Amino acid sequence: MSTLIQLVLSGILIGSVYALMSIGLTLIFGVLRIVNFAHGEFLMIAMYGAWAFSNLFGLNPYMAATAIVPAMFLFGAVVYWLVISPALDKPHLVVVFATMALSIFLQNAALMAMTADLRDIPPIFNRSITIGSIFLKVELLLGFLITILCTVGLQWMIKKTYLGKAIRATVQDGEAAMLMGIPVPRIFLITFAGGSALVGLAACVMVPLFSVFPSVGLNFVLIAFVIVVLGGMGSIEGALLGGICVGVMQSLSGYYIAPAFGQMFFFVLFLLVMIFRPNGLLGQKGAAMIGMNE
Amino acid sequence: MSIAIPAPISSRRIPVLPKRGRISWFEIVLLAISLGLVVSGIAPSLQDVILLSFLFAGLALAWNIAGGYAGLISFGHSAFFGVGAYTSTILLLRYDISPWIGIWVGALIAAVFGSVLALICARLRGPFFILSTLAFAEVVRIGALNWSSLTGGPEGLSIPPMASLAGMVFASKATYAALMLGYLVFVYGITKGLEASRFGYYLFAIRDNDDAASAAGVNPLFGRTAAMALSAALTGVGGSLFAQYFLYLDPTYVISPELSFQFALLPAVGGLGTAIGPVLGSFLITPLSELLRSHLGNAAAGLHLVIYSFGLIVVMLYFPAGLAGALNKLTRWKPFS
Repeated sequence: MSTLIQLVLSGILIGSVYALMSIGLTLIFGVLRIVNFAHGEFLMIAMYGAWAFSNLFGLNPYMAATAIVPAMFLFGAVVYWLVISPALDKPHLVVVFATMALSIFLQNAALMAMTADLRDIPPIFNRSITIGSIFLKVELLLGFLITILCTVGLQWMIKKTYLGKAIRATVQDGEAAMLMGIPVPRIFLITFAGGSALVGLAACVMVPLFSVFPSVGLNFVLIAFVIVVLGGMGSIEGALLGGICVGVMQSLSGYYIAPAFGQMFFFVLFLLVMIFRPNGLLGQKGAAMIGMNE
Repeated sequence: MSIAIPAPISSRRIPVLPKRGRISWFEIVLLAISLGLVVSGIAPSLQDVILLSFLFAGLALAWNIAGGYAGLISFGHSAFFGVGAYTSTILLLRYDISPWIGIWVGALIAAVFGSVLALICARLRGPFFILSTLAFAEVVRIGALNWSSLTGGPEGLSIPPMASLAGMVFASKATYAALMLGYLVFVYGITKGLEASRFGYYLFAIRDNDDAASAAGVNPLFGRTAAMALSAALTGVGGSLFAQYFLYLDPTYVISPELSFQFALLPAVGGLGTAIGPVLGSFLITPLSELLRSHLGNAAAGLHLVIYSFGLIVVMLYFPAGLAGALNKLTRWKPFS
């Protein structure tokens, strides 16, 4: 029994970290109606950044977030300006291929700059928190807390602030929002950059947990896609729910079934969701039928 | 009082549709050059590049049947490639069945996989469809990696390098080049036939407007499934040929997202939904990436892909209709329809 509780709890914690990494993707999808295939590479770059801070300046990655998050915001803005914005008024496939090419570009630029070696940072907290017979990693608990704070903060921002209202108006009807004087292109820019900043935060949480290497993004972006679709594309609380589902499932199937088949299991789950509940657990009705951006 | 009676439909001028399925002078010249390259037997270092360009042109054309004509943008085609490659290789190694037969068995199984994918994704559009194809290929990939008794697991499978016609293993690269060119011409012929056929028009209708197509009596589900099955079968054939050329199946390559992206990028660069586009795309990009790799590969790992992907971004942003579209704009007589 305690094994099961242990597995479920650590699944929830790791899942929340996955969710944090997916929130940026779902936010960008919800507002701009595009899938950023380079999302994993954004994560990889930010992870290298956090690793460098820890390695060069001896800063712990949670402190490094104060520099990484604004840097990723800027990076997102530059990418939006150079690649995304010129592609938005073209056929929707152009965005797909352009972000995919961007992902190959960033991955190989990282390979050139950093080589394929795995980079780790020394452990920050040398002990786990013990409750009875259950062990919980401090890094994971911190990740969970940060994710919850982030989700609540974002929800508040979207519901209450002026910027949040402008974003919601843009989501509901871009043209009408434009007529009401909302600068839609700027909302797009802020959303894209903000989504990238969130990836930066996720990277700082993930660096103590995972090694960094140039193609690390691909592993995580596939998980992020699963989470985003499971939670309903564009839904922030859905991403949290989806992340926790995926985390629990991964930890249970990794223990009870072989880890490799466990990985297959959540892609199968993804396909099952697509067949039976294509709008995700909390998504908009009919989203999958119209493809959202056609 | 007179009422204007509309002319009967048969006598009205129907707006001229683009002439699909016709062979243009450009295609004949291209074929002649390709044949010349194979027969003349230039430097062996170039032979590699040439035959890979042929193979990937064929694969890009096969992808284009689903992606360009039926609008089914798939990032999971490496699953079909892998299924084809594994089937013919396993049949050869275990049951001693010649690849000349195994290829078609592989194509059939790949077609079944393609139909399954099309049926799973029947209700999905846009990014949902794309992500599902990606997930489907991952399922197939992880399955192939873990079913070691059949697929050899992570070590992959090797075909003994003994030249024989029945084993489809050849000593000279020129023979392989001819084989790949044959594959390219075969897929090109099917594409051209499709363009001119009733089924081809069904696909255009489904791609352009699902609801209108089904109102006009075209069954979108059937059209999508058939197009995906055909595309998957042809991709599977390419996979078998690939295995016969390299004589080794590396499971991390034959079913991988990278390979799937390549199948999709070649037609996107060349021109989606045209017959000549994927060929142009492959003839431009495959040699470019191979040459960049062989010249820069030692200098800095990854540099060739940096240059390659940078070029892709530029092409996608400034020539969204691909090379064929860009060239059509330049010339008056539109040879690249």
